[in-house]
Amino acid sequence: MAGFILRRLMWFLPNAVILTFVLFAAVTVWLGSPAAMMLGRDASPAAIAEINTVYGFDLPTWQQYLRWIGAALTGDFGRSYASHQAVSAMILPAIPITLELTAWAILLALVTSLGLNSLAVGRHVIGVLSSGFSIVGITFPNFMLGAILIYVFSVKLGWLPTAGWIPWQSGVIDHLTHLIMPVLTLFAYYFGSFSMIYRAEYRAVDQQLYVRVAHSKGLSPTRVSFRHILPNAVLPVVTFIGISIGRLVGGAVVTETVFSIPGLGRLFVGAIASYDFPVVLAMGMIVLTSVMICNLLADIVLASLNPQIRL
Amino acid sequence: MNTLHRRDVLAGMGSIGLAGVSWPAMAQGTPTSGGTLTIGINDDTKTLDPTFSIQQAERQILHLLYNTLLTIDVDFSLKPELAKSWTVENDGKRYVFQLQDNVKFQDGTPFDAAAVKFNFERRLDEKIASPQRTQLAPIIDSVEVLSPLSFAINLKNPSPGLLAELADRVGFMISPTAAEKYGKDLGTNPVGTGAFKLKQWTQGTELTLERNPNYWESGKPYLDTIVFKANPNTAIGVQRLMVGEIDYIYGLQPDALRQLGDKPGIKTEKSKIGRWYTYEWQVDKPPFDNPKLRQAIAHAIDRDRLNQITMEGQATIANGPIPSGLWWSSPDNVVYPYDVEKAKKLLAEAGIAPGTEIPMWTTPTPVDRRLNQLVAEQLAAIGLKINIIPAAISDFYSRQVSRAINFSITNWTQRADPDGLLFILFHSKGFANVTGYNNPKVDELLASGRVTQDRERRKQIYAEIKDQIMRDLPYIPIFFAAEFAGYNSKLNGVVWMPDNHPRFRYAWKVK
Amino acid sequence: MTRLSKFLRRGFGIAIILIVGAAGAFAPWLGTVDPNASSSDILAASSAAHWLGTDELGRDIYSRVLYGARISLIIGPAAALVALAIGAPIGLVAGYSRGKIDMLLVQGIDVFIAMPGLIIALMITVMVGATAQNLVLVLGFVMWPEMARIVRSLVLGLRDVFFVEAARSMGCSVFQLLTIHILPNIMRTIAAQFAILVSSAIFTAASLGFLGLGLPPPAADWGTMVQTGFDYLSLNPLLSLAPGTAVAFTVLGFYLIGQAVD
Repeated sequence: MAGFILRRLMWFLPNAVILTFVLFAAVTVWLGSPAAMMLGRDASPAAIAEINTVYGFDLPTWQQYLRWIGAALTGDFGRSYASHQAVSAMILPAIPITLELTAWAILLALVTSLGLNSLAVGRHVIGVLSSGFSIVGITFPNFMLGAILIYVFSVKLGWLPTAGWIPWQSGVIDHLTHLIMPVLTLFAYYFGSFSMIYRAEYRAVDQQLYVRVAHSKGLSPTRVSFRHILPNAVLPVVTFIGISIGRLVGGAVVTETVFSIPGLGRLFVGAIASYDFPVVLAMGMIVLTSVMICNLLADIVLASLNPQIRL
Repeated sequence: MNTLHRRDVLAGMGSIGLAGVSWPAMAQGTPTSGGTLTIGINDDTKTLDPTFSIQQAERQILHLLYNTLLTIDVDFSLKPELAKSWTVENDGKRYVFQLQDNVKFQDGTPFDAAAVKFNFERRLDEKIASPQRTQLAPIIDSVEVLSPLSFAINLKNPSPGLLAELADRVGFMISPTAAEKYGKDLGTNPVGTGAFKLKQWTQGTELTLERNPNYWESGKPYLDTIVFKANPNTAIGVQRLMVGEIDYIYGLQPDALRQLGDKPGIKTEKSKIGRWYTYEWQVDKPPFDNPKLRQAIAHAIDRDRLNQITMEGQATIANGPIPSGLWWSSPDNVVYPYDVEKAKKLLAEAGIAPGTEIPMWTTPTPVDRRLNQLVAEQLAAIGLKINIIPAAISDFYSRQVSRAINFSITNWTQRADPDGLLFILFHSKGFANVTGYNNPKVDELLASGRVTQDRERRKQIYAEIKDQIMRDLPYIPIFFAAEFAGYNSKLNGVVWMPDNHPRFRYAWKVK
Repeated sequence: MTRLSKFLRRGFGIAIILIVGAAGAFAPWLGTVDPNASSSDILAASSAAHWLGTDELGRDIYSRVLYGARISLIIGPAAALVALAIGAPIGLVAGYSRGKIDMLLVQGIDVFIAMPGLIIALMITVMVGATAQNLVLVLGFVMWPEMARIVRSLVLGLRDVFFVEAARSMGCSVFQLLTIHILPNIMRTIAAQFAILVSSAIFTAASLGFLGLGLPPPAADWGTMVQTGFDYLSLNPLLSLAPGTAVAFTVLGFYLIGQAVD
């Protein structure tokens, strides 16, 4: 086991370096010097040349990479070209926001999909409904869902505020009303995915001997569903949540843009659109490393459960 | 005609303590103190350090956190602010300023001539790399401290446009102590002499300012708090205004007014001078180095239709870069009326075959996109196929500057001095000259406009420049846009300046 | 899934795709006017002349949605094809080889799969510009790992099955084994995955359009239309809702087929 972990770690480091370098090179080489972008309309050739020297844009790529990675490993991701703010100071406050949004969505999805699908035993209608909803949830574009929610609940009915984010401290009610629509938008996708995974596993568990025993004991199907099947069928769903950490940011991107929420997704998109290298690189690296770490952990967990994998 | 030694002293504005700018209020009545003003803005604010500020949305906030040396009035005339008076000496190569007394920065340190000198040197410092450096370095020779409350600027060449710059980004005075203390973090920890202080800022979402109790203009400001809320788009902004979530929003296109309808409690105001929308292209290389092609396109664009569809007919058609209503405005002598037949004829004379493809670049801004699609349609009618290429807005400016973009729509706001806009665009060495326009006669006129002090003479010079530009067509002017502001009728005292930025400093709300 | 549900899914899926396909193919005849023709009747509500009203340039929304079907039905399948062309061979090789080569490939695939595809597509599209070719290539590039992984697991499953053993013992080359014996048996699943990838490509393309990276104007790109419409939600919501519904509909159709084919 230890050998397996060690081998995986050995792969990890070179992978990380190569991938981050590719990311860095792609971003810097392709886009050229961001000097003109930083200066806006006041850019003149002289000013651009100055910025190039001050920030080191005229150095070869690998040197710039080393500079950057050296600083990054100490937590210093440089400063945004647009706002001159420290990048870490920009990213840190966005993390809890995206986390909160996603946590609510995942929680809601977990409860409803597990509940609905477990309840569906014997209740055909619920099964069909849940099936329908999950397909819609997976395929329905979240920007469209957002548009519909905004149109119905904000423009027409005026019940909820259209967009924006109010922190807890400024008012719990306000915070919650601003949360409702974005969470619902995100929730749809998770509901769909969880349902599909859960139902597949559910069917497998349903065949098991102990479930049949439970049935034969005279327990109501619903009780069997919740008490015996659910705890065993829920594992793949949990694993799915674990490995979709990388998707967290991706999933949030559109929703955060639609509702103007200052989370990681919107930060990333804004930085990409304004060629704000330091922010793009910092976020890219964070996503990259967290994805690789999660993969590694998932592999280790699965390997410890299933010795066959440790070839 | 006397351009020699002229004293230009502004009398009567120097009363100690109460010296402030008297801008016309929106409505009559005595100002009431207290209350919160919430404003909806579209852009993101990136930094509150005027040394690096380039975003439009930041300016209105900077005017609240800081003061400028001079300020402009609604007719673009220059008025005192931190500088209570000034004289022009040495043929326009030296300005001497007297500063307001008893002004303190928000960190308690005094505002004085040494602070002013620090601010100028900060803008000129190579290592700091401020975007304003390239503008100022060729003009300013040195800044001298004459006494604690007076300083002088020595110029390399006369530059009447400089005073107008001191009412803008260059003139925002930062506390030297704070600049040293915060260094690069000054952008999130601004310290000026302004009427408001920064209270809280969630970038991209909300920014809150609170009243500066030690503000030097006694009795002001009236409001306790000002909040800037970022609107994801205009429709949401207008909605917020209608439900009372915000009190003021500007930059609205006429179709946003449809949304407002006749809602009671909401008023609207039209901007005096709209942004100048114009097409630009590079006239020193093919295909647009062909004057007949340029003229053909000028005649092929139906600007009334563009006005009708994008501005509900409320914009003013532009026949040059200078709108009416300014002291340097002049009659439109050279015009290109919409004439498809003439356009086709000119196109044939230009030797351009029908079906020729021309790329056109666009930003994601809705107005730009709409105009571009309409113009593409109109040019297709005379046989030119336009390929629209989108670019992100930050990328757009940098490509414009590096002249990788040829043919696109652009827009400019007016500056307080005609030299401000016209020189940078039309002088062969103007740094915003992306068209490659090079007409020695115009260069000469611009240079003389720069050093002439006599207003009447300058007006004639700029009229000549305008006519020549319209003959040469480095740009095709479209219109001066119609922009609106919507606001809660309880709000007073907001002044929408002709540079397109509202001033909120002296605003107040009826209870 | 039950026979009935499979039948229903297949039925609905095919029906939807046929409708969307017809809309795209017959757009010039079904549409009321030239989709790019502006008019001064901007943001009009639906009427006899304009069934879904007009957009911010006075263009007929109904016609534009129809023409938008062409864009989606070209980009979607093309991107899935690219993913197939890259992913299937890699998956085949990885599944068959085992050992070092497999491990290397699997590492690569796994990293890519967990990445948020939208973000990578976003970054690359911003750099290279959003033209039809670029979108197809970028989306294909983002999706190939999924295809590779499925193919690999299928091949792994079949590798040691009896008939393959038999063929190997008869002296077939690796290439013959892969193409003649293994490939036909996994075609069905690949086809199902293909449909799902088409669905995913259309979804991502629309999302990119919504974030401002759709095809250049005046193309009737559904995602871009939704984004533009956001500004006018209270004036004519159909500007956003109509193309958005079209996207949802089309994505659903391909997805249902993908599910039901297996």
